[in-house]
Formats: sequence, structure tokens, C-alpha cells
Amino acid sequence: MKKSILISNTLLFFLLILTNSCNEEILDEPKPTSSVTGEVVYNSREGVDAYLSGILRRFRRQFERTDAGGLYSIYFARTVKGNDLIQKPTWFLYDYAHQNRSATYRRVNFTWNYCFNLISNANTLIKGVNESDLSEKDKNETSAQALALRAFYYFQLAMEFQHTYNHDSSLPSLPIYTEPASGGKPLSTLKEVYELIVEDLTKARDISSDSRIDKSFINKSVINGILARVYLVMGNWSGAETAAKAAQEGYSLSPSTYKNGFDDLSNSEWLWGMPQFSDQTAYYWSAPSTFTDHNVGSYKGTFVNSEFVKMFSKTDVRNQFKNIYGLKDEDDYRYYVTDKFKFKFDSDIVIMRLPEMLLIEAEAKARQGKDVESAKILFDLQKNRDPEAKASGNSGNQLIEEILVERRKELYAEMGVEWFDAKRLQRGIKRTGNHRVMLELTPNDKRFILKIPQKEIDANKNIDESVNANR
Amino acid sequence: MDKIKANPRSYYLSLILMTMGMMVGFSQQKTVTGNITDENGLPLPGATVVEQGTDNGTTTDFDGNYTITVKENAKLEISFVGYSKKEIQVGNDDVISTSLSPDSNLEEVIVTTAYGTQRKISVVGAITSISNEILENQQSTSIGSSIQGSVPGVNILTSGGVPGTNPQLWIRGVGSINADPNPLYIVDGSPFNGNTNVISQEQVSKISVLKDASATALYGARGANGVVIIETKKGKLNTEAKIIVTSKTGISDNAIQTHRLLSGEQNLKMTWEAMKNKFVYTDEQSPETAAQNATNGLISRLAYNPYDKENPIDTNGNLVAGAKQLWDTNWEDVITRKSGIRSEHGVSLEGGGEKTTYYFNVNYLNEQGQVKKTGFERMSSRLSLDSQIKDWLRIGAISSYTDSKSGIPSQEGTSYQSLIQWIYTVPSIYPVYRRDANGKFILDAGGNKIFDYGDNKGQVNASRPALSGENAWGALNLYDVNTKVTHSSFNGYASFRITDFLNFRSSVAYERFLVDAGVYAHNKYGYAASVGGRVTKKRDLGTNINFIQSLNFIKDFGKHLVEADLIHESYGYEFETLNAQGVGFLPGVKVLSGSTKPESVSGSVSEERIIGYLGRLRYSFDDRFFLEGTYRRDGSSRFKKEVRWGDFYAIGGAYVMSKEKFFNSNSINFLKIKASYGNLGNNRGIGYFPYLQLYSTGWNQGENTGVLADSPRDENIGWEKTASMNLGFELNMFDDRLQGEVNYYEKNSVDLIYDKPLAPSTGNTSIKTNEGALRNYGIEVSLGGKLIEKENLDWEAEFNFSVDRNEITELTQKEFINGSKKWMVGKSLYDFFIQEYAGVDPEDGSAMWYKDEKDDDGKPTGKRITTKDYDEADRYYYDKRSIPDLIGGISSRLYWKNFDFSFKFNYSFGGYLYDSTYASLMNSFESAGRQGHVDLLNRWQKPGDKTDIPKLTTDNNDYNARSTRFLFKNDYIRLRDIVIGYKLNKQLTENWGIDYLRVYLQGRNLFTYQSIDGIDAEQSISGLTNSRSYLLRTISLGLRIKL
Repeated sequence: MKKSILISNTLLFFLLILTNSCNEEILDEPKPTSSVTGEVVYNSREGVDAYLSGILRRFRRQFERTDAGGLYSIYFARTVKGNDLIQKPTWFLYDYAHQNRSATYRRVNFTWNYCFNLISNANTLIKGVNESDLSEKDKNETSAQALALRAFYYFQLAMEFQHTYNHDSSLPSLPIYTEPASGGKPLSTLKEVYELIVEDLTKARDISSDSRIDKSFINKSVINGILARVYLVMGNWSGAETAAKAAQEGYSLSPSTYKNGFDDLSNSEWLWGMPQFSDQTAYYWSAPSTFTDHNVGSYKGTFVNSEFVKMFSKTDVRNQFKNIYGLKDEDDYRYYVTDKFKFKFDSDIVIMRLPEMLLIEAEAKARQGKDVESAKILFDLQKNRDPEAKASGNSGNQLIEEILVERRKELYAEMGVEWFDAKRLQRGIKRTGNHRVMLELTPNDKRFILKIPQKEIDANKNIDESVNANR
Repeated sequence: MDKIKANPRSYYLSLILMTMGMMVGFSQQKTVTGNITDENGLPLPGATVVEQGTDNGTTTDFDGNYTITVKENAKLEISFVGYSKKEIQVGNDDVISTSLSPDSNLEEVIVTTAYGTQRKISVVGAITSISNEILENQQSTSIGSSIQGSVPGVNILTSGGVPGTNPQLWIRGVGSINADPNPLYIVDGSPFNGNTNVISQEQVSKISVLKDASATALYGARGANGVVIIETKKGKLNTEAKIIVTSKTGISDNAIQTHRLLSGEQNLKMTWEAMKNKFVYTDEQSPETAAQNATNGLISRLAYNPYDKENPIDTNGNLVAGAKQLWDTNWEDVITRKSGIRSEHGVSLEGGGEKTTYYFNVNYLNEQGQVKKTGFERMSSRLSLDSQIKDWLRIGAISSYTDSKSGIPSQEGTSYQSLIQWIYTVPSIYPVYRRDANGKFILDAGGNKIFDYGDNKGQVNASRPALSGENAWGALNLYDVNTKVTHSSFNGYASFRITDFLNFRSSVAYERFLVDAGVYAHNKYGYAASVGGRVTKKRDLGTNINFIQSLNFIKDFGKHLVEADLIHESYGYEFETLNAQGVGFLPGVKVLSGSTKPESVSGSVSEERIIGYLGRLRYSFDDRFFLEGTYRRDGSSRFKKEVRWGDFYAIGGAYVMSKEKFFNSNSINFLKIKASYGNLGNNRGIGYFPYLQLYSTGWNQGENTGVLADSPRDENIGWEKTASMNLGFELNMFDDRLQGEVNYYEKNSVDLIYDKPLAPSTGNTSIKTNEGALRNYGIEVSLGGKLIEKENLDWEAEFNFSVDRNEITELTQKEFINGSKKWMVGKSLYDFFIQEYAGVDPEDGSAMWYKDEKDDDGKPTGKRITTKDYDEADRYYYDKRSIPDLIGGISSRLYWKNFDFSFKFNYSFGGYLYDSTYASLMNSFESAGRQGHVDLLNRWQKPGDKTDIPKLTTDNNDYNARSTRFLFKNDYIRLRDIVIGYKLNKQLTENWGIDYLRVYLQGRNLFTYQSIDGIDAEQSISGLTNSRSYLLRTISLGLRIKL
């Protein structure tokens, strides 16, 4: 081989090595394109609002499966546990049969993981806002929402994973996290958990604003509404009365819209809800409407107990029950369906409405012996729903029972009212009528509580196997 | 030329032989002529033909023809570099034509290794190659499945029979939990990111599977789970241009019979029985009342009446006399094909001059799937050029372009329109087309039948309980689900010979693929009817570019041979997505422009880079001792700067004992022992920025921009590492007639890229980090050879098997339940941990399971008792795993005169499968209107019945909940390929201007023995089913012509 070729080749070789190899900076070139840093989030009110928007979006994003999608799944699971509605063997069938509470089951894992995920996001936001250079006003208005979120989801967890507060508040309840954490904490007692919830909510109420971006966000009124629910469970009747009353401000009953399908956040009765849009939707996961609406193509999975249907007068605007399939046998569980919720991909989902606040106020008053005031609130609502309604003249316990029935009639399939009341009042649930699965839950039945997830026990050094021994 | 580079001596040897052949004089006795071809019947120019025991010899010309004059009764020795020598007795015939097969002599066989080739004798690791000869006898649509049954230690599963499905490969067990456990694919020297089904098998010349550390260490960063090297065909020097035409057409159906299902009448009767049982056992009605109620309520429950009587089942549970069945829909016949067509055609042009070779191929494939309207169509082309421009410069280029299109409506999973699920969910009592209350067809304005979506109003024949709002046949007709893939690649290299012993090579590989997936959902029927139809378009664009610079040194010093390589590699990959979705379409409009409302639009760009510095040193002494060391340093953009670099290495050695003087065996003519150890890495399948803690966009709430915190990240996440050891020996017996190889391996994967469980109460369930360890170990055996080698008869056969074990050696917590498995140190990733079925109580027909007996303190006593409450049942380990104990293959090739015959079986034993499809078919009619399995005929019916199948009841129950009742042993042996061919006599075909013509009959998956029924044995590594379509069984008639 010619020497010149040898030399030129060697030169070429080193040239190639030089141009190609000493360029390790190319490893730094790839950058994430669809994420932002914490700095961007906490540098401005807009950034923090974007984080709040993201958290609120998670209320209705598709978290796991059709029956484990978001807040709507937690509420609907409670709904089908009661006596008023019947679920066919489709999604939520195990909740309907009260068989979805073991430590490895999806309901248990989802409710736990989902609520704690939102709590963790709230904690991250609170920490980030506190450490930011935002104005005091912005800090207050945003962290009030995060505190309320934290309380709201601790409240959901506390209701699901232990007996009710008034049964025995010294029972172990949940691990408490008030800032972002990576290690698992031990279970605090129900008392401690409710203390945190009340503390968060009262603090949030004090620093929150009345105004908000839209009705999916949390303002003072929503915080009072959550607090009213919490006090109802704790049996703090005066607190419940005040909070429920305060929550009502700015909303009005609108019976003419009752039949519109419960799909519109702007309804004057709605305090708080999950907005949906054709491009931001939980699609076929959107309980309750995806199951209860039999008029459009979807699961058509939920039916109404014929005995519940009989509680509504003909003139009641809420009497929207139909034998849509023209069945002959009234004992068939598929006899009645309800038109209460209209299913569309962009149907908004309700979280909290004015009538609930009215009925909390009425119940709280009745429990404090203010029967006359209570009965008036109740009858005003009854009359509003049914022009032919007659006042019952009930007082004392009968009045309270009437209010509880009114809660079911008004709020069914929205937030699991029947289960919520049975649990907080330590009553059972006895199925009657044309149910597919008959059963009876005694007061404080174990089936009212979910077991602690096995995954938590396995990964949390502070919780051991014995936690589920008696659940 | 590669061969020459790797082994200069064999080149010179043949040169000398050739020269010798030309110098031989004549001693006239008998003149013999003939034609020498390779194993594919292509001429071998330059082959040597020598009269045995003399210096008399000649070489073949460009067409493989020779003429030689020899003594009568002489023996001819025919040889060619790289091929085994053949001896043929000269008889009365003046024409002696034969074909040579590739050499199995270890000293000359060249194997493909990382970044190069080497002689098989010097290999210190575990490499298995599949030659063109074996590939050609297969009928694979996706190239990966050609490996099945041919390489010990590789577990291959093809999940589902959708044409074009790529099989999953696990080389030497599962070495990763959360990182990608699949091997790295290298095509013509560079990493391949596209879908491997774009590569046409016809264009592949060789597949090599690199298994141990010494073989894969040079791929350091990505080699831990093995490497599959695919080499495509090239032309040969000094051969005339020739055109090869191949064509085959076949028909296919399911390789396995589907589950046997109940008829409409049976379904009605059993529903009646389930209703009656519920009334009797749950509602405590008298049997008479219960029977009457069941009779009266049956049609109301099913909502459809396929008979012309109002209550078709009487109070004895029998069909009412005279009842006429109006329809009995066989959904399998409606949805699936009786036989699909598969056709494949190819044209190649190949050849070469003294310095340049060329190869060009176009291949067309069209394969229909099991489900109607599904199929895979592919057109692929490849051009390869190689040229020795100067004696010091050689350049080459390969370019390929593939277009494929597949119609793939969902054939897997639980969505309503998933077609296999449909067959197993909707019974035959539901019609395809709408019927009125009397069972007459409802027609549209145009007089056409209307698909029954089962969501209509009406008392009967209107609202289907199961999968209402969908119709599988309607979905197939009204939805469009298509994926188009365009794939192109370019590889080029220039190789510079600097001195006799020093070579420099620079190469570039560029690959780009576009995956264009579109779904149209109908505007009036089905899941998007409420929004007026939906069009979804996804476009993924992937681009990668790879540069390799290598400096190779090879020199012998007497008996010492030293080879060294210095390599630099840089790799960049970019993946860009674009998705758009719109709703509200006019009838017949299926493009986004017709949308009245855009639903969503999104897109992203991801990038990755790797830089690697590689070195390899090989030393051998006297072809007896071999030592090899490799080292690679890799930097990956997937990790933080400080932990980005990983060091990987391997060392290995081999000793050819049979070359020693003391080695004295009549039968064993070659024996080599080898050992290797190395440390490899894996960074795949973990996302592009697993270390960055960020806030993701896309969480908008109405018009408000939304972000959400990502799950926690380990910013120091780094390489997953695998220490891999291989011990083995190679053995040749009876003059290389029989060849065997045994390897023992052990792979310890540590610092696994592992989603370490966090206490979910912290808000997150896991963090991706480096923790945990896995051990895979096993033994691989292969044995094969030429059983018969005669003038007109050659018979070769091989078999191989491997026994592979998987074991968790470290976890971050004591145990971890993962679906149907529980992970625990000492167990495998795939040990089933589920409830144990305890049969049926003969008294009341309830299903029972086992649970632990507890003492008064709630502690298990160690005894097991039965329970009828599924909720109480405990889960247990059974020493049953979804991964097989033993896998392997058997293959054989027989050549007799003009006939050839070959087959390949692959088998898998010892695994278990949980058949959830069967479980759902064994429901107790709890849900109205579901399909059932004929096994239900053996159900419990009255007290005292002894059976494993519980009573039917519409009451809420867990009878078919997950338990060992549906866990089955999954052994199978499958006749993967079988070919019978006949080569027409050349004298005959020459008249037609054809050099070579072979016709053959080829079968794929023609026969399967398996231990489970109704479902394909190949499901998933975790042993779970998912309503997958069935693998196809194909029989084709083919033709191969050379012009």
C-alpha cells in the first residue's frame, strides 16, 4: 500500500473521531417538551391557578377503570350501596352487593389511592405557595382552596375506612400528612383526623374569597358546604346549622330546571360541580348519568326500587320514573328507571346543591329543638318541588325522619345520601322491594367500612397486618 | 469479503487449491460434466472438483458448470470455501451434479457477533444463528417468529392471531421488572426502533441471537436482555445477474378450535334453571311456584324471544311442544372467516462482478386475519450494494422502504367492540339484525335489514342485556380501524484498509418510520353515535440515526493471533406524536375535515441520545486457546448528568481440548469448553426523563390551563445492571456429522429499574428507582447434524431445549401482591397466588374455596377448611408458574433426489395458564343473557350430585371468581413449519429458459397438541388471557424460479 494513502487514511480516521466523539454535550440536548418546572407553577397566580385547575380536573379524569375514575365513582359506589337504586351486573356490581371491601380489591385501592393522591397534591401546592413570593392575598386565596381540598378528601376517606365518628372516635382512622411525604405514617384516630378536617376548613373559610374562576373551584360558600356535611357527621348541630346557612348565600331553588337532566353547572341550585366539555370528558365513565340514563347509548345499568318510586307523589317535579322497557312484572328489578340525569359526554356532574344545604339546616335545627323553623324550611322545599304538597305537621323525631326521607328524594344518586345518612346515624340498610341482591346491614355493620389496602400495609412500616383483623 | 477479513488463511488456502486444480494434466479415461449449486440451488462458481487421491482437478465456471476427465471408478471431491466437502463415486453417468451445503466445520464457519464477525471456533460466548436455509422453510409474517423453536433459551410468545403481530421474545428468562425485558434488535449493524414486521423474511439472510455477556457486552447499555442481529441479503462476487421470483399462496384458519358454546335452546333452558334455582334456594319458593315463575319470567329476563311461543320453556324446563326457533345466531360464523387467504410474492435481482455486488428485492404480502375484514398488507423493498472501489477502500449501502397497512379492529381486551370477547359474551339467542316483537325483520326505508344494537325500546326483541349499544358485525362493517406504517432506512459504510493489519470503518444508519393510525366510529350506531360519529387520527414519527466509527486490528505472530477493535458509537432518537380527534359527522364522511366539533388535539416530541466508547481485544494461540475481553462505556440522556455514564465489560475464554495430543477419541473429533462473565446494562422502557420531577401539562379545566405534579422521581436513577455468567462446551462427533452444544447460564440482575412500592397514603403508589434483584438461570442443550449424507440423499436434524428458572432475590418489602401473582424473595415473578377451589358442596350445589382455619386469637392453625364465602377464601402459592419449565424445538431437513422435505416443531412444557375467558363462560347465568360453555351441562342439579360445576342461579354469586378452578396446565407442541418441495430437472426447465424451478407445499401451525382446550396456548408471559384472536394455521403452495 502506498504510504500516502496510509497517511491520508490515518488523518481521516482521526478527523472522524474528532468530529464525532468529543461531542458529549449532545447528551444534554433532549429536553422534556410537555412538562413545566415548579418554578413556572409558583412564580405567578396564574401558575398556581393552573395547578388548582389540574387538581380539579383530576376529580373527573379517568383514574383507573370505569368504576374507579374520580370523585364521581366514590359517590356512585355509595349510591348503589343503598336501598333506593338497583344496579344490574355491570360496573359497580360488587359495590351494589357490598362485596367490594377486601384489602386487595379495586374499590379499596382506588378510594384510598385516589383521595390520598389529591391530598398529596394539595400538600404540594400549600408548601409551594407558602415558599413562593406571591402576594398575601394570592397566597390566601389559593391555599384556602388547597386546605379545603385536603379536608374534603380526608373527610371522604374517614367516612369510608372506619366506623363513623360518633361510634367511637378513638378508633384508628388514617395516616395524617400535612406536607409532601415519601414515607408512610401510622394511623391517627378518628378524633385527630376530624380535628384536622375542621381545622383546615375553618382556616380555609377565614382566608378564602367569595369569588372564584368558575363553579368547579372552591370559594367560601363551598367550604361552608363541606363543613356543614362534616358537622352533620360529627353531630355538631349548631355548627352544621351555621355552616349550611352560610353556604346558601347566592343560590336559589329552580324547580323548573329539575327535569333538565342535572347536567349544567350554571344551574342556580348548584354550589359546586365538575364541568365537562366535549374535549374534556370522562366519556362513558361519567357516573351517575352513564348508568342511570336509559335514553341514550351507554351502560343503562341502574334501576330504581319500586318502593322508592312509590314515595313520590304524581305532582312532584322529581317524579321522573318510567317503566321504559314496558315490563309486566313489577318485581323485575328492571321495572323502573329514572330520567333525573341526562348522559352526554359534556354533561356536568354535581357535587353539592342548595337543597342539601337547606335540608342540613333543617335537620340541624330540628336536632336542636327548633322544630318550627325546621319544618318551615322543609315545607318550603317540599312545596317548591311539589305544588300540591301538604305540610305534615311533624315534629321531634318524626320531623327528623321526614327530613331524612326528603334528603333521599331530593338527592338520590348524587352523593350517596342514603349510605351517608345510614352511616353517620349508625343505622343499617335493609333492602326491600324488587332488588336484585337482597341484604340487610345492621347498624355499624362491617360492610360499612373498607379494609385498609394490602398495598398500604405492605409498603408502610407503621401499619401492620393486624390493622384489618377486625374489619 | 468479510470472511476474508476474519480469516485470511482460509482464503489463501482455497486460492492454492484452485491453482493446483488448474495445473493438473490429463490422463484420458472418462469425462464427467456437471453443475455445482449451493443449498438453494444457485450455482457455485469457483468450486473445486478434484479426483480423489490425485492432483487432477478443476473449478466450476460462472454458472457452476465443470468438466473433468478422470479414471473410471474414481471418486470426486467437490469443495468450496465455506461449504462442506462432498465425495461422489463416479459411476456410469457422465453427468454428476450436486449441491453443497454450508460448512459445519467449526474452524471455517463464520458467525455474526457484536460489531463484526468471527470464526465459530473462536467464540467464547453463547451465540445461535439461524441460516437462510432454515429461514426459507418458514412462513413468517413477522421475522421474530422465525426464531421460535430454533434457539434454545429463547421463550417466544405470539399473543393473538392478528396478522403482522410481532412475537415477544425473552432471551434467557425475564431479567427486568419494570424496564423493557425485550432483546435489542440490530438490523444490518444498527439498532432498530421500528416495528419488526416491516422486515420481509425473504430479504433476511441470517438471524443471530446473542445470549451471554461476552457476546452482548459491546451493546453494553442495551444488551442485558440479549440481542437479536438480523442481517439482510447481499449479492455474491463473480456471479451472473440473476432474477429470482418467488410466489406462494395459501389459505388459513384457526390453529386451535374455539371454546364449545351452548346453543340457543340450551341457553334458554339453563337460564330457566338458574331462575328456578334462585326462586327455590334463595327466595324459598316451592319448586312448582318457582318453575312457573321461571317459565313466566324467562323472556322478560332475556329480553329477546328466539321462538314463536310466548313462553318457550315449560314448567319442566323443556321446550314447549311445537315451538319453532326463529333464529340461532352463530356469532363465530358471523364474525370470523372460515378461511383466510395469504399470498406472498417476491422478485429479486442479485449478482456481482469482480469488485461489486448487488441485491435488490421487492416483496409483497397480503394476509387475512381470523376476524373478517382484518388483514395485513405489506410491500417492502431493499437494495444492497457493495463495492471494493480501491484495494484499500470498500463501500457499501443498503436502503429499504416498506409500506404496510393493517385493518385491525380490536381483537383483544374488554371493550364492547372487542370481537373475540363478543363471541364469548353474546349468546346465539340474540339476532344480528333487528327483529320486531314477533321475530320478523325490521327493515329500513330502503327495505334493508338493520343491525341490532340491542338498545331499542320495546318489551321484547329490543334491548339486549349484554353489550347493549354495540353489535360486533355492525362494528366490523361500520367502523374503520386502520394502521398504516411507512418505514425507510438507509445504512452506509466505508471501510479503509490502512495497512495489512489495520482497518478503519465508518458507518451511518438512518431509520425513519411513520405510524398512521385512524379510527372512524359511526355517526349513527355504536359508541360514538351520541356525538354523531368520531374520527381519531394518530401519527407517530420516529427517527433515529446511528454513527459507528471503528478501528480494527488483526495480526498473527506465529501461532499467536491478536485482534483488537476500538469503536465509537453515537445514537440519537426522536419520537414525535400528533393526535387529533373530532366528532359530529355527516353519514359517510370519515375524515377530520368533516367534523363539526374538534374533540382534542395533542402532540409531543421525545428525544434520546446515547454515546458509547467500546473496546475489544481477542487473543488466540494455535486455535487452541482463546481469550476475549470487551469493554463499553455508555452515556445515556435518560439519566442525570452525574449518573449518566455506565461501564460494562465482559471477559471470556475457550479451550479447544480436542486439539491436544493427549486427546484421543474415536468418536469425538472436536471438543471446546468455554466460559464467560460480564456486566451489562439496560435503560429501555423507562420513559425519556425518568429522573426529572416536573408538572405535566394537559390537565386543563375548561378554559383554564391545568398542570399536575408528576409522581415522585428518583433523580439519581441509573442503569439496571445484569451480571451474566456462561459455562459451556461444544462437541462434534463422527467427523463433524453430529454437533452438540451445552450451556449453563446464570444472570443476576441487580439495581433493577423497579417501581418501588410506596405507601399509597403518601399520595403515590410507587417511585421508579434502582432496587431489587432477580436471578435467571438455566441450561441450554442443542444437538444436531447430518444423519445421512449420500449422493442423492441428505438428512439433517436438530433438537434443542432449555430449562429456565426465574427467581426474585431481593425486594424492597417482604412481599408484594401483583394481580394473580405474589412477589416474594425465593419465588419467581410468575408464581400464581390465587384462591384455591374446593369443588362443589353436593348438598346445595354451592362452590367452595379453601381458607385457613383460625384459632380463637385469629392465628392460623395450619389447617385448611372450606368456605362458601369467596370473600373469606385465602390465597395460596401452588408452585405453579405461568412460565414454562422446558422449551425447545425439533427440526429436520431431508433431501432426496429432487425432493426436499423439512419440518420444525416447537414445544413448551410446565407452564400454567389462567383462562379468564373460560371462567366467564362458566358463569352461572347470574347475569342475564350471557354465553355459556358446553361444560355447564355437567352442572350440579340436585342434592347428592357429585360434580365440580356449581348450580346455576341468577342470584348474586362468586362461583366463577378467580380461583384454581380455571388455572390449567399449559403444555403444547406445535408443528410450526412443514415443507415438501420438488425441484424440476434442469434439463427440462432450461427449455423454458429457466435455470431453476422448485414447487413446494408449505404449512404453518398445521398441528398443535396442547393441554388446554378452546384457547391458544400462546397467550402472555404472565399466563393470563385477554380475549385474543387465535393464531392462524396456514397451508400454502409456492414456487421459486431463477432466471
